[in-house]
Amino acid sequence: MNWTLALPELVLALSGLAILVAGVLPRRDMTFPCTMMVLGAFLLSGAFVLTQPDGMGFGGQYISDAFARFMKVLVLAGAALALLLALDWNRAEGLSRFEYPVLVLFATLGMMVMISANDLMSLYLGLELLSLPLYVMAAFHRDNARSSEAGLKYFVLGALSSGLMLYGMSLVYGFAGTTNFAQLAQVLGGTAPISAGVVVGIVFIITGLCFKVAAVPFHMWTPDVYEGAPTSVVAYFATATKVGAIAAIVRVLAGPFGGAVDQWQQVIVLASIASMILGAFAAIGQTNIKRLMAYSWISHTGFVLMGLAVGTEAGLRGVLIYTPIYLMMSLGAFSVLVAMRRNGHAVENIQDLAGLGRTDPAMALGMAIFMFAMAGIPPLSGFFAKLYVLLPAVEAGFWLMAVVAVLSSVVSAYYYLRVVKVMYFDASTGALDARPSGVSFVLAGTGLFTMFFFLMPAPLLAAARQAVAALIG
Amino acid sequence: MLDIGLAHYLVVSAILFVLGVFGIFMNRKNVIVILMSVELILLSVNLNLVAFSAQLGDLTGQVFAMFILTVAAAEAAIGLAIVVIYFRNRGSIEVEDISTLKG
Amino acid sequence: MFVGAVFFPLLGACVSGFLGRWLGDRVAMWSTVFFMALAAICGLLAFWQVALSGQPQTVVLFTWMQVGELSFSWSLRYDTLAAVMVGMVTLISTLIHLYSVGYMSHDATPSRFFAYLSLFTFMMLMLVTADNLVQLFFGWEGVGLASYLLIGYWYEKDSANAAAMKAFIVNRVGDLFFMLGMALTFFTFGSLEFDAIFGAVQDHVNDVFLGIPSLELIGVLLFLGACGKSAQLGLHTWLPDAMEGPTPVSALIHAATMVTAGVFLICRMSPVMEFAPVALAIVTVVGASTALFAATIGCVQNDIKRIIAYSTCSQLGYMFFAAGVGLYQAAMFHLFTHAFFKALLFLGAGSVIHAMSDEQDIRKMGGIWKKIPVTYAVMWIGSLALAGIPFFAGYYSKDAILEGAVAAGTGVGMYAFVCGAVAAFLTAFYSWRLLILTFHGKPRADHHTMEHVHESPLVMLVPLLLLSVGAITTGFVFAPYFIGDAATAFWNGAIYNLPAKDMMEALHHAPHWVPTLAKTVAISGILLAILIYGFLPHIPGRVAAAAPGPYRFLLNKWYFDELYDRIFVQPARRLAVQLWQVGDARIIDGMPNGAAALAAGASRGTVRLQTGKVASYAFAMIIGLVVFVTLFLTGR
Repeated sequence: MNWTLALPELVLALSGLAILVAGVLPRRDMTFPCTMMVLGAFLLSGAFVLTQPDGMGFGGQYISDAFARFMKVLVLAGAALALLLALDWNRAEGLSRFEYPVLVLFATLGMMVMISANDLMSLYLGLELLSLPLYVMAAFHRDNARSSEAGLKYFVLGALSSGLMLYGMSLVYGFAGTTNFAQLAQVLGGTAPISAGVVVGIVFIITGLCFKVAAVPFHMWTPDVYEGAPTSVVAYFATATKVGAIAAIVRVLAGPFGGAVDQWQQVIVLASIASMILGAFAAIGQTNIKRLMAYSWISHTGFVLMGLAVGTEAGLRGVLIYTPIYLMMSLGAFSVLVAMRRNGHAVENIQDLAGLGRTDPAMALGMAIFMFAMAGIPPLSGFFAKLYVLLPAVEAGFWLMAVVAVLSSVVSAYYYLRVVKVMYFDASTGALDARPSGVSFVLAGTGLFTMFFFLMPAPLLAAARQAVAALIG
Repeated sequence: MLDIGLAHYLVVSAILFVLGVFGIFMNRKNVIVILMSVELILLSVNLNLVAFSAQLGDLTGQVFAMFILTVAAAEAAIGLAIVVIYFRNRGSIEVEDISTLKG
Repeated sequence: MFVGAVFFPLLGACVSGFLGRWLGDRVAMWSTVFFMALAAICGLLAFWQVALSGQPQTVVLFTWMQVGELSFSWSLRYDTLAAVMVGMVTLISTLIHLYSVGYMSHDATPSRFFAYLSLFTFMMLMLVTADNLVQLFFGWEGVGLASYLLIGYWYEKDSANAAAMKAFIVNRVGDLFFMLGMALTFFTFGSLEFDAIFGAVQDHVNDVFLGIPSLELIGVLLFLGACGKSAQLGLHTWLPDAMEGPTPVSALIHAATMVTAGVFLICRMSPVMEFAPVALAIVTVVGASTALFAATIGCVQNDIKRIIAYSTCSQLGYMFFAAGVGLYQAAMFHLFTHAFFKALLFLGAGSVIHAMSDEQDIRKMGGIWKKIPVTYAVMWIGSLALAGIPFFAGYYSKDAILEGAVAAGTGVGMYAFVCGAVAAFLTAFYSWRLLILTFHGKPRADHHTMEHVHESPLVMLVPLLLLSVGAITTGFVFAPYFIGDAATAFWNGAIYNLPAKDMMEALHHAPHWVPTLAKTVAISGILLAILIYGFLPHIPGRVAAAAPGPYRFLLNKWYFDELYDRIFVQPARRLAVQLWQVGDARIIDGMPNGAAALAAGASRGTVRLQTGKVASYAFAMIIGLVVFVTLFLTGR
């Protein structure tokens, strides 16, 4: 058995266990050393990912290809940066516990398993390994009623969604006779009509995946969890886990269910359009910036699903370009959110950003860049992200979806620009506390990427093209 | 005498599944009931998998069921833990009360 | 070398901009000068190799982006056209950097200034070496941005801010047309690469868009874009106001380089323009009208920099109508010589202003020629070149343009010639008006200022002297290459002329009375100015008093600003105020009406779905699932 193929995951799992032990044994506070060790494990695992050969292992449960490597690198980078942001925030909020980095590590491990899944079984296990730590993290501020409510809500709805998905998996297994992705693709790609049982099963599975990417109508947990959970946790939710969720839905829909594209296409189109519209409109009236980011993500989900719904190579490539660009914008925006604290207390209303243009011009500039990028204003990276999913949709004749996409980005520009307006034109209600160095680091890195992506997009495009080629063969 | 075939298993499992789903959103009283409903859903899935496994003569389904049992245990533990901290903060586990975050 | 010429300025801008505070102002200043000098060396070598040795080439940097069928690469296209511009821009920019070291010595943040200046140079080089329209547009927007930053450099001054805004907005109007032109080009040719466009022109001659021949429409749109950048009639209003920036900026951007981008664009697109005769006629008429119009205003202005600014406007008009009659070579030649003598005039004016303790009104100068002899001499050289007096640079290029206008043998050509000849007379007139009022006569400045009149430091004089060498020699040295016998080998296919109308050939057969006439009007303009302002100083006042209407008309620049204010600015402002009062105030603070109400209503509606109850969330999921299953099963 070719177990060395899964070296990145094995390294991560073993270091997770070791760090857990290292955190428990000493009597003193081990948060900082544990965080650093987790970051080291991410780095090591990332190095293994980059050198991973193509192949299949563990009885066909595990696959390593260009797509998996592309997504894993993003996930690891996102998780590492989000963890860096969390370090200072958790310390300031009195949440400094060594379990946090370990939970992040296991959730990230779950995502990597999910991304490399080549079987419904490993997909499910990866998904649960991701979800279980996330439930705990959402409720991580255990003395805070809002945080525990967020955790409980997330848990209940998450359990329901994974139940639905499992039920779908059992149906697909029963009626298609296999859980292996390659064999499923063969069965569904054949000329024989697909049985109703399999079709229903596929819908249930799509439901579960849509819940993870927070597509309408399975989005409802997102705003509440974003608002209730600690900001440091949300920074992880909104970045790394989104990459994992997108990877899973792309892997499943384009891989084993690629043969049934005619069946699921309309569903994804519907979810995409509904997400874009809801995300655009619901965000307008928000005052809490974390909630705003939740709706903003729902609208971005619509764009991602648009690329997926097109189903062509160009569409999938658009999705793979959208993902890293979104990851960077979102990390950047959350680095600002994490730095939002006044007199030692975290603040999270949009109005609390008032006057930031004068009190902290660098951070305000960064936030303005991310907001403009999310609104899709050229030449920032967000514009290209939208362009690369919009063009394939137009080329493939999905006019309704394309029109909705353009209109919804006009509407959503309104609330992004409102944030900029508040920062630069409203009177300050007092300066924010000095930002920690971790925030500055993430802010600068993501800001530069977002700002100057247009100068040199070629490497990313090439990587995305390779990943798509591996995915659709 | 009635022959018990695949269809019967599937119907029972579907009934369990629907019960579980309804238990989650019809229930207005107690969060514990939701936890039980989740277990019900997972059970129905296991029943499905085992039935299919026997029908297909393929062990994959049973292996899958084993995994689900394991995960379900972990999930239940985490669920209960979250319910406990929720109760500590709010002094209630009424489903209706879990609605301060909204809009 | 080719890459270096373009990227050294960027390096300099980065060093000065990001490390300026750390390095200290002196180091930052001199490092940008150093990088510019390197760029100039590279630029001149490139000019030598590409233009004089005839080895054009394209340097591909990397593939930039690929969207669907659209694919661009960053590459530097070095043909003669680009090489001329690169050589000229880097050289003049270096001299201006050097001059600025002296001129900005008392400024508070010189490193910021030099960073902008170098950034501008980089963008300009990007523009001229572009291999496709997108890259050109990138440079085009980049120089716009840099000029906006530079005009508003003294941001404490309200007038500087206003001028910067004006330049920005007027340029946006031009850019809009440019973008439309670009879109139509892509629509017509399916590509924005120059090679692809130029290769396919023949196939698209008969294409029609909205009932208008596509090529004509592209030509007109691109010309309108060029109008914004090159301050042609209608979109010229920003240029005189842009004089609010520091004088080296005026010299670099608003005389030598950026404003000529429009002319460059037309010449670059010559293979397309040649097939668009109507567009060319429009170019000719607008160019000729601008030449005359700006010259008339130049005669009555009193601000030394504004006079030169209107003169720039007028000379750009010459370049445009030269391109319009198909004589792109002469347009480029005039662009080339003009860059030297106009930069010289601006820097000389800067030296005067420096000497006069920041006084810019020529009515308050006079009698200072003995105190600043070097400046006086270079201003003479610059003016002689500008007026087109034989053997100075401007003579060769201007003559060629006027001859070409006659040789074209068309109605618009004659119109252009008449405008050009009258403008040449006025040019000579206002140049000497400026010289005499500034340097001769009785001192009109107060005693205190006169005591402080002093020659500029060496670091400012060296660029002046070098530029005056350029203003004297570039004409007769380069005339054979640009428009003379060696022209075909020199241009090497970088500019396209329709074989049917060989303007270069026609140029040699222009009637002999044309150059004579040009010389005559120029010299008579000079003599008239000397007569009136030198010997009969009361005449101008009487003339102005006798004809107050025309005088005020000219003094107020044909009331263009007032006209625009009435037609565009005030309604727009009123609309904006309305929007602000009705829109902003109510949308954000209260509940509005119209589309905003709809959005807010939709927002409220969608938010109301978010009840916060777990049960309803789960219910929504189940409903969604049911909808999906139904869609699936019925959709099959």
